[in-house]
Amino acid sequence: MNATVPDAQVGPRPALVSWFDHHRRAAVQSFLRLWREPIQSLVTCLAVGVALALPAALWALLQNVEAVSGSVQTAARFTLLLDQNTPFEVATQLAAELEGQANIDDVETVDRADALKDFAYGIGLNELMDNLDENPLPHLLHLHPDKNLSSAELDALFISLSTLESVDQVVFDTQWQARLGAAIATARRLTAGVGVLMVLGAALILGNTIRLGIEARREEITVIKLIGGGDGFARRPLLYSGLWSGAVGGLLGAVLVALLFGFLAGPADELFTLYGSDQTVSGLGFKGAFGLTVAGGLAGLVSAWSTAFIHLRRIQPR
Amino acid sequence: MISFERVSKRFERHDALRDVSLEIAREEMVFLTGHSGAGKSTMLRLLMLLDRATSGRLVVNGKDVATIRGRQVARYRQDFGFVFQDHQLLFDRSIFDNVALPLDIAGFHPRDVGRRVRAALDKVGLLGRESANPAVLSGGEQQRVGIARAVVARPKVLVADEPTGNLDPGLSAEIMALFEAFHRVGVTVIVASHDLALISRLRHRIITLKEGRLVGGVGR
Ligand SMILES: Nc1ncnc2c1ncn2[C@@H]1O[C@H](COP(=O)(O)OP(=O)(O)O)[C@@H](O)[C@H]1O
Ligand SMILES: [Mg+2]
Repeated sequence: MNATVPDAQVGPRPALVSWFDHHRRAAVQSFLRLWREPIQSLVTCLAVGVALALPAALWALLQNVEAVSGSVQTAARFTLLLDQNTPFEVATQLAAELEGQANIDDVETVDRADALKDFAYGIGLNELMDNLDENPLPHLLHLHPDKNLSSAELDALFISLSTLESVDQVVFDTQWQARLGAAIATARRLTAGVGVLMVLGAALILGNTIRLGIEARREEITVIKLIGGGDGFARRPLLYSGLWSGAVGGLLGAVLVALLFGFLAGPADELFTLYGSDQTVSGLGFKGAFGLTVAGGLAGLVSAWSTAFIHLRRIQPR
Repeated sequence: MISFERVSKRFERHDALRDVSLEIAREEMVFLTGHSGAGKSTMLRLLMLLDRATSGRLVVNGKDVATIRGRQVARYRQDFGFVFQDHQLLFDRSIFDNVALPLDIAGFHPRDVGRRVRAALDKVGLLGRESANPAVLSGGEQQRVGIARAVVARPKVLVADEPTGNLDPGLSAEIMALFEAFHRVGVTVIVASHDLALISRLRHRIITLKEGRLVGGVGR
């Protein structure tokens, strides 16, 4: 026992250097700590993942619906109801003229007899035709505008079609589009709201885990404070464990969403086809998964920071 | 260097320290003694800023410690080495990591940490046990790890509260000899102990407390 063992007279490094160094070590050690209790960590991360997966899945679904509604919109169709006494030859001639316009793709002439048949078939009343003395329908033109027209251009086209001679009425059902738009806006709000609630839920789950972590490390924190470590030093490992649990949770959430979309893909693609879209259902993608991981990490960081802020100062050495 | 000026500490209805005035010089070694409940721990706790005086002033290095608040408290404690009766070691890590903790807090380079930790363990006769868990050590060895941790950052002041309280007389004498060795190389050492038989054999100032009052050892 010799109190005078010589060694190099070295002191602490500059504060910033050691601060970075401690951050680096706290980050690595907290990450390794996750694997020390793998079941406990998995449960926490999965809980966070499930909480984040719900709004993320809603969001991805919405992206798909919007994409499809876009392509359905370009398949918009005008129906021109001609004057009751317009002969079929005039109708076909008009159709040919209109087809020549640049903003119109294709025009299809429907004979009034066929129109009635279609109508009766559509509502499932074939016998309707037998009971009608007279066909109430005129000849029709189904008109497909150019796919690249803006809604203002569509409006202009609508007006010019309405003013055509021998056209009685132009039907352009924009209402369903307005409805769909409103539905998507509502769903978007819902997703945002659910998202906020679920991120809050994830933060609470993580906060509780961090609190348990603080309790488990009470002794360590006490000793750190006794020998001159500040709250920052004691907090650092906690912040990183929050960050890692949150980020791993977010990543697990992305995996869950991917599984869910894999499960949905078959029927959803068919649904898209039925709506005349050649699109296939797409999940979060790499960007979305990355975003979810970052969101989870941030939620973890914020909740760790606030939990540590509340609970660390309560631990005072006796 | 450390000066208690008419310091009192009152807990609810009980006076733990009454009007204590005392000077401890730089590089001095003093013992603080008295029966259990006399106020020894309370004095050391005030010195470590684990508690605050009810009245009076405590001046350390010319500074009234009442002005040391918030973040500065941790910084202040780094200038002390503290040895506890119940050693306060962490059993979730190796002896090395226990001793290294003050250096990590102060921000030493890992290379210097290794050198210093081994030097400190050498001083307390435990070199070669770095990688063991402190739980496998005997009580006396655990206390020596505690001392190594207290001195590893080369504090100017070493404070010990009943460091031999749980040890048999032979080990106690060894531990005290260790404190004397640090005193010889210029560290201010303050040891609270009720083991009068042991401390009166060592020739250092003995400050005696009785029911919170100083009754001996005030002058030198
Ligand atoms: N936190 C506290 N609350 C109330 N009384 C306390 C507290 N700490 C110490 N005391 C009392 O103060 C007196 C001095 O205690 P202490 O300084 O621990 O004595 P010693 O270390 O000399 O045995 C004792 O009577 C003790 O009961
Ligand atoms: Mg005591």
